[in-house]
Amino acid sequence: MRIRFPLARPLSRVAPVAIATTVLFSTTACDGQSGGTAPGSGRTLSLAIIGTPNSFDPTQLIEGQQTYIWDSVYDTLLIQDNEGRLVPGAAESWEYSDDARVLTLQIRKGMKFTSGTPVTSAAVKATLDRVRTTSGPNQVALAAVASVETSGDHSVVIKLKRPDGSLLPALSGAPGVIGDPKTMTSKSAALNPVGSGPYTLDKGATVNGSVYVLKRRDDYWNKKAYPFSTVKVRVIADRTASVNALKAGEVNAGSVETAQVSTLESSGFEVKHVEATAAGVLVLADRGGSKLKPLGDVRVRKAINMAFDRDKIVKQILRGGGKPTVQVFNPKGDAYDPALEKTYTYDPAEAKRLLAEAGYPDGFSVPMPSLVYTKPFEPTIVQSLKEIGITVKWETVPAQQTNSALISKKYPMFFTMDGLSTAPIEVRNNFNPTGTRNVFGTTEERFDSLLTRANSEVDPAAAAKTYKELNAFTVENAWNAPVFYVGTHWVTKKGIRYLGDGSSTFSTIRQFGVTDQ
Amino acid sequence: MISYVLRRLGTGLVLAVLVTLITFLLLCTSFDDVASTILGSGATPEGIQAQKAQMGLDRPVLTQYADWLSHAVRGDLGASYFTAEPVRSALSARLGVTLSVVLAALLLTAAISVVLGVMAASRGGAVDRVAQGASLIGFLVPNLLIAIVLVYVLAIELKWLPATGYTPFAEDPGSWATSIAIPVAALMVPGIANLTAQIRGAMIGELRKDYVRTLRTRGVSTRSVVLRHALRNAAGPALTVLSLEFVQMLGGALIIEKVFALPGFGSYAFDASLQGDVPIIMGITLFGVLLVVCVNLAVDLVNGWLNPKARVH
Repeated sequence: MRIRFPLARPLSRVAPVAIATTVLFSTTACDGQSGGTAPGSGRTLSLAIIGTPNSFDPTQLIEGQQTYIWDSVYDTLLIQDNEGRLVPGAAESWEYSDDARVLTLQIRKGMKFTSGTPVTSAAVKATLDRVRTTSGPNQVALAAVASVETSGDHSVVIKLKRPDGSLLPALSGAPGVIGDPKTMTSKSAALNPVGSGPYTLDKGATVNGSVYVLKRRDDYWNKKAYPFSTVKVRVIADRTASVNALKAGEVNAGSVETAQVSTLESSGFEVKHVEATAAGVLVLADRGGSKLKPLGDVRVRKAINMAFDRDKIVKQILRGGGKPTVQVFNPKGDAYDPALEKTYTYDPAEAKRLLAEAGYPDGFSVPMPSLVYTKPFEPTIVQSLKEIGITVKWETVPAQQTNSALISKKYPMFFTMDGLSTAPIEVRNNFNPTGTRNVFGTTEERFDSLLTRANSEVDPAAAAKTYKELNAFTVENAWNAPVFYVGTHWVTKKGIRYLGDGSSTFSTIRQFGVTDQ
Repeated sequence: MISYVLRRLGTGLVLAVLVTLITFLLLCTSFDDVASTILGSGATPEGIQAQKAQMGLDRPVLTQYADWLSHAVRGDLGASYFTAEPVRSALSARLGVTLSVVLAALLLTAAISVVLGVMAASRGGAVDRVAQGASLIGFLVPNLLIAIVLVYVLAIELKWLPATGYTPFAEDPGSWATSIAIPVAALMVPGIANLTAQIRGAMIGELRKDYVRTLRTRGVSTRSVVLRHALRNAAGPALTVLSLEFVQMLGGALIIEKVFALPGFGSYAFDASLQGDVPIIMGITLFGVLLVVCVNLAVDLVNGWLNPKARVH
């Protein structure tokens, strides 16, 4: 089945003239047309990000705000547009076999790495093979790949050990980048990436760990989608410093905390609030009850879900910069179902009744890891669970031990603040028996059958329906206790606009456009 | 004197080996965590072991330390686990930023404190009360608060100085000076408060001594008595305080660099510690120890030059 490119229709027909510019730039990344000069050409986007980028070696790329840099340097096989749809990137089309075990990608012709070498199917194969055989953060995303073969210069065939619904969205991220085989394995690739993306890293002006300067390529196939001739990404970890840099005019775009929004708005900045970019979830990891027996009982898990006054938490702790939820999926994504939000309301009395019914009238105690990012929420979690009889014992975990602690199976429950992704990737991470947040590897028959169906479905619409069913299953069986979505306030100077609305949480320069000042 | 300097440097090297060994032993417990952090949330126990083997972290700890030390003496401090940036070049670049801020703050602290302390001690009265008041305020007000106020007034409202960032001296000396102006001001306030009080006290003590009275009765000018004789004798304790201030400023730079988004030593150390980036932490420890040893040695030499009684024979 061939996947049709959904953006063939001219969006200007459906969008009001007033927002035409915005819409244009939010979608041109996907129009597949090359050449032309973008409005705003010559402008500089000076963007503040929080985290220091990792190595630029394709095997070590990680997703987050640092994606703004590597996604500008490298092409990805697919692109996630600002509406969250998968559209052609370096692969201009793709096709699954009927059994969803063979994926054939047609690579766009005429693309070149900054070294001058053409981008071919051999380069795609070399990168995919390297990523899936080298230990690193992206290896898990290609775990289902059995082999990568080429057919001519512009056709790549990926054979799978088993159908994997998360593969296509993964190919729009770090596992789908294309590196130059000639330089990819050298040590210099870590700091001096050679890609075929819309920008090149200006090494002369870049200070590693602090400032990354990107210069737009004139020969890029989709130049129109990138209105900024120069992108300067500054790493500013301190949020107050970031606001100061915005106010002083040293950067013209960045994300800020809720408390800063009104000040910046009154100073003339444009503020765009994306309601959900991450989810605060109490992961009920030991839902099989192997380490903490009570968690194996669905009534206990439901009781925990009823212990949280989510509205109050969003209002008082997040200062309104989020949204209460009982789901782990992006509210603008395929799997989200607004009707499910009524599944668990704050009801400590009913929660206590459920605990008593499950045989725990006096509650129980549970150890939880106290992590850098959980600190602000710990008093609320303690108080909420104490109200229904559950005692939390926090164990301090140093920042560098966060990942080890979570996967150690030491903690039956833990609180996470993971960034949102597409439904297949959320399922892979949160609920797959080998999922990174399914630490104890628990599963159920009904879930397995839904998962198999979702993975084997090659029609995106049908797959979306199955992911909704999967979501409903996990909410109704209280596999986790999601508490809130946390949003992001994007602040831009006049003339620059943040184009995302949360449909895609992938951090890319395509989310920034220009407006008439 | 050469033998004294060589002896001190030798002691410094032994100290550096001991401190780096202790640091390495403390870090070795987190090697699993480093591998796990690199692999991300998808890490499996097998993957972690494979990653450790790939990085050489599965070898005996002392073998690893000996390996690090043998490379370090040849100038190779390894590369960051996360960015693959060579530690030596990364530290050299960042040390320039930190030393720009800390040395400028140190020199200005010394100059201003000497002026304030000497004036307060020699003139007394209103000048003394003002100097003491200023010193007290400097003690009481946290330098972070001073930084925030200065940024708001000078960078955001008046736009005279940049709020964040750093320009290398070689690129543009003027921009370099403006880029470090507020961080330096924030960093030197507590130092001035401390050193001014120290110099004032020491100077008052010296000015009450018999040799000062003798000098005055022999017609030596007040200026000469204060600057050539009393200050010289009062300089010893002040220099000791100044060397301690240097160490404190290095620590303070960690916060100041974060607040001003300066790509310096402190912020680099902070990030590396959070990630458990062993080669960077080891490099920073080594540089830090050598820096403190060199500054202390320099202070002792200056002290000996100023005051013959302090010389070691």
